[in-house]
Amino acid sequence: MSRLVSLAAAALSLALPLSAATMSAARAQSPDHGHAHLIWFVEAEQFELRHSAHGESFAWDVHAWIGTDDWKLLLKSEGALPTGGPLEEAEAQLVYSWRVSDFWDAYAGLRYDHRPAPERGFAAFGMSGMAPWFIEVDATAFVSHKGEISARVEAEYDLYITQNLVLQPLVEVNLSAQNVRERGIGAGISDVELGLRLRYEIEREFAPYVGVSWERKLFRTASYARDEGESSGELALVAGVRFRF
Amino acid sequence: MFRSLVVASALAAIPFVVVPLSAASAAPGHAPLPFGQAVPASQAKRTVTITMKDSLYEPKSVTVKAGEVVRFVIVNKGELLHEFALGRPEDHVEHQKMMATMMDHGMITATAIDREKMKMDHGAGMHSHGPESGSVLVEPGKRAELTWKFAQTATLQFACTIPGHYELGMVGEFRFQ
Amino acid sequence: MDTILNRRTALKLAAGAAGAAGIYAVYPGRRAFAAASEYNLAVEKGRITVDGISSRAKMMGGSVPAPTLRWREGEEVVIYATNRMDEPTSIHWHGLLLVGVMDGAPGFNGYVAIQPGETYTYRFRLRQSGTYWYHSHSAMQEQMGMYGAIVIAPKNGEKAAADRDYVVVLSDHTREDPRRVFANLKADPGYYNRGKRTLMDFFRDTKRDGLDATLKDRQDWAEMRMDPTDLADVTGYAFLVNGKGPEDNWTALFAPGERVRLRIVNASAMSFFDVRIPGLPMTIMAADGQDVQPVRVDEFRFGVGETYDVMVMPREDRAYTFFAEPIDRSGYARATLAPRAGMAGEIPALRPRTVLTMADMGMAHGGMDHGGMDHSSMGHGAPADAGKADHSTMDHSKMGHDKMDHSKMGHDKMDHSKMGHGGMQQGGMQHAMPASPSKSSTPPDRAVGWGDAGTRPGEKALAYADLRSARKNDDARAPTQEIEVRLNGIMERYMWNINGRPFGHDEAIRVKYGERVRIRYVNTTMMAHPMHLHGMFVELENGQGERMPRKHVTIVPPGQEVSVILTADEPGEWPFHCHLLYHMEAGMMTRFVVGPKEERKAEAK
Repeated sequence: MSRLVSLAAAALSLALPLSAATMSAARAQSPDHGHAHLIWFVEAEQFELRHSAHGESFAWDVHAWIGTDDWKLLLKSEGALPTGGPLEEAEAQLVYSWRVSDFWDAYAGLRYDHRPAPERGFAAFGMSGMAPWFIEVDATAFVSHKGEISARVEAEYDLYITQNLVLQPLVEVNLSAQNVRERGIGAGISDVELGLRLRYEIEREFAPYVGVSWERKLFRTASYARDEGESSGELALVAGVRFRF
Repeated sequence: MFRSLVVASALAAIPFVVVPLSAASAAPGHAPLPFGQAVPASQAKRTVTITMKDSLYEPKSVTVKAGEVVRFVIVNKGELLHEFALGRPEDHVEHQKMMATMMDHGMITATAIDREKMKMDHGAGMHSHGPESGSVLVEPGKRAELTWKFAQTATLQFACTIPGHYELGMVGEFRFQ
Repeated sequence: MDTILNRRTALKLAAGAAGAAGIYAVYPGRRAFAAASEYNLAVEKGRITVDGISSRAKMMGGSVPAPTLRWREGEEVVIYATNRMDEPTSIHWHGLLLVGVMDGAPGFNGYVAIQPGETYTYRFRLRQSGTYWYHSHSAMQEQMGMYGAIVIAPKNGEKAAADRDYVVVLSDHTREDPRRVFANLKADPGYYNRGKRTLMDFFRDTKRDGLDATLKDRQDWAEMRMDPTDLADVTGYAFLVNGKGPEDNWTALFAPGERVRLRIVNASAMSFFDVRIPGLPMTIMAADGQDVQPVRVDEFRFGVGETYDVMVMPREDRAYTFFAEPIDRSGYARATLAPRAGMAGEIPALRPRTVLTMADMGMAHGGMDHGGMDHSSMGHGAPADAGKADHSTMDHSKMGHDKMDHSKMGHDKMDHSKMGHGGMQQGGMQHAMPASPSKSSTPPDRAVGWGDAGTRPGEKALAYADLRSARKNDDARAPTQEIEVRLNGIMERYMWNINGRPFGHDEAIRVKYGERVRIRYVNTTMMAHPMHLHGMFVELENGQGERMPRKHVTIVPPGQEVSVILTADEPGEWPFHCHLLYHMEAGMMTRFVVGPKEERKAEAK
């Protein structure tokens, strides 16, 4: 059941912009020159199988957007589904973003975590864009419906080895202002993820990849995990495909 | 004697024609070219006026007889520097290269002759230039003369070999009777 | 060879001649006995085949390119443009002087797009002669094939005696839907860049320039979040000559010794070309349809929307290759000049793709007047060591420094620390070196800076400074005001605009009728923009005094300033835009409003 919900969330994330696009019939809609073009895309940053000492899982980080130069409506979804097991993580965000400078967008919206249980709703506020050195940065602050405050910072970089072979280092850090014992989250830096993915762009829109992903729960979050008899870190080999349409 | 006549008449009647200094020193005997030679204007029995425009001649052809002496009065009604040069097509090809070099060296510009540079640069192999070789340069709005005694060749043309002008069609033909 | 449509053919066709129906879509019965100079042009969807590959197209008159319209100066022409598509369309007469509503740009001058099924009647008297072109001015149509040439014969006869006269329309064609192209650019501006700087390039540059210099260079670009390899925005193009791909090999015939006039139109959506005919110098005789004093060149850089008329005189009994390389060297357009059909000349290797420098970012030379400089014949002599900036090997005596206006170079503004000399960058330094007579057959293996086509030493590339109008400029008045036109872009978002405001949110530029103004383009971006003003010619301030060339498109190179002077003698509300179609689409367009004649008269009283 819970699995169905999360899959539905993921499916919705794909379906919404598609229907919008079907209505508009064209990708870059403009009657004459210079009018606001409405553009949409579905992009999967990660769509992969993970293999670690703890088993295998399918993980995704997919978003869809529709918008113009000045604004975008984004539906993001990410999560992990262990092979044969129940859904481990499932999160969806619906945010409205607007351009604030040449390289930066601000956004605000809602986040809903279906897993890990118990479920939570959040208000989300963030910035995303490109820092010098072509580093893509996404930083978000969250306030849950129970008043808990947390934040997430992600950064990634595309290193072109050749015109088609791209190495992408990635780092994600989650922070929390307080302990949320029921969700296994401790105050301070709760966890860090480091990733390194090597993709081959057959087309810009379609790039299979392999890589490694290392996640580590830290400080109190780590001790909560140990208390639950879970491991506090995981090194996984990943293989997947990055795509856009 | 004969040579100095040519130079004198050129200098007197054609003040804007370039007369290479080398003409006086480097052309002993002044051998006729395969298509004839420059002679004093007094020998001419006929005068033909050639009008230059940007970039064509009027008329486009002139009928001559072998051995005939014709005095050409060349009037430049265009806005560019032009040349009236006699020669066979292959002569014009060679002449074009020389003219391109002269332009590179600033001896001529699109509209004028730089006489100072012209004088200085005579080491550069500009011998085949001047009335005695059947060539005069005429600045915009100016006129010049050239008197020529024709020897018959298979094809003889008058042409402007300033870069680009020949390609644009600044060439005319001598028809031998 | 060339799809020629002159008045007589049109009449014949209108009278019902069936044979040419495939070339020229006529709808007889409408005006079977039309007065002289009436034309029917149907706009419809179709397909074109390039090198054996078929793709969708939108076309005028049934072909890509559209039929060449051969007209005569002074005559009045009437064109019935019928829209047989299911979307609105328009036809704009690029470079023609006419009344605003006839200009054919929807939303301007009271002109409304031609709706499906409708026929619009264009009627205007030809006030000029020369080579021009026509194309759709509705979004995403021109790049699908809606372009063709216009040849207007001078009323007093051609000045140059050509034995042959050919129209050569260059274009770029992709099978991708232009809307998809635009969306891709919006989502990922580097989408089409297959010449990105890679780790491999880093190693190569380190080996050549040293680690420090290479790091420094990478740092400079990275801090700006700019990519010095971004030259063309869009790739995947087939480059066409008269609608034919390189394999199709469009051929123009000549007899050795004949004068062949080529009327070359750059009808590309996005592509600047370096155009040459190896072994055959070209004499430039007109630029943008306007006669210039002849200049003999080996190649020229060709901006989108420009036209050049050149005369060539092939003397040998052999095939010559007409070769146009886009500046990102992602392919080539090729045609053949040959004494007989079916011949092919040697196809030269593509020359190196240039890498932009800080100078192209306007970082190096504050107010340098590049207009008066001869970039073209820079003759990058010692290729392998060019990066080392070994000035001792440069022949300064030939550099023609006297032509350089050092006072304008603003050396004090140069931030050498940022220039990373080790890694680069003679691009900004080797100006004004006239073609030296030394012939070297070794082509440079590397090109540095936007202006560097990789011209061989001793060969001459046309520079804007070489263009000199055949007739004196009509208006000797000094400009009374200067209008700054800033060309801006945010590459990361694929947003482009004029003066900070994209079209739709733009503020019109307004001048009085009869006013003489200077337009000063300031390119703050790292791409060149071919700026097109409808309805009037501007005079390019290229140092030619009273013989400034008259242009309808002006290339403004990356990071540079270029100024033009305009006598605003055509009242109306004219489109003013970058002719790179996706830049225009993204907002690089505004209105240039010339006040009514009456206003001027009223003021005079």
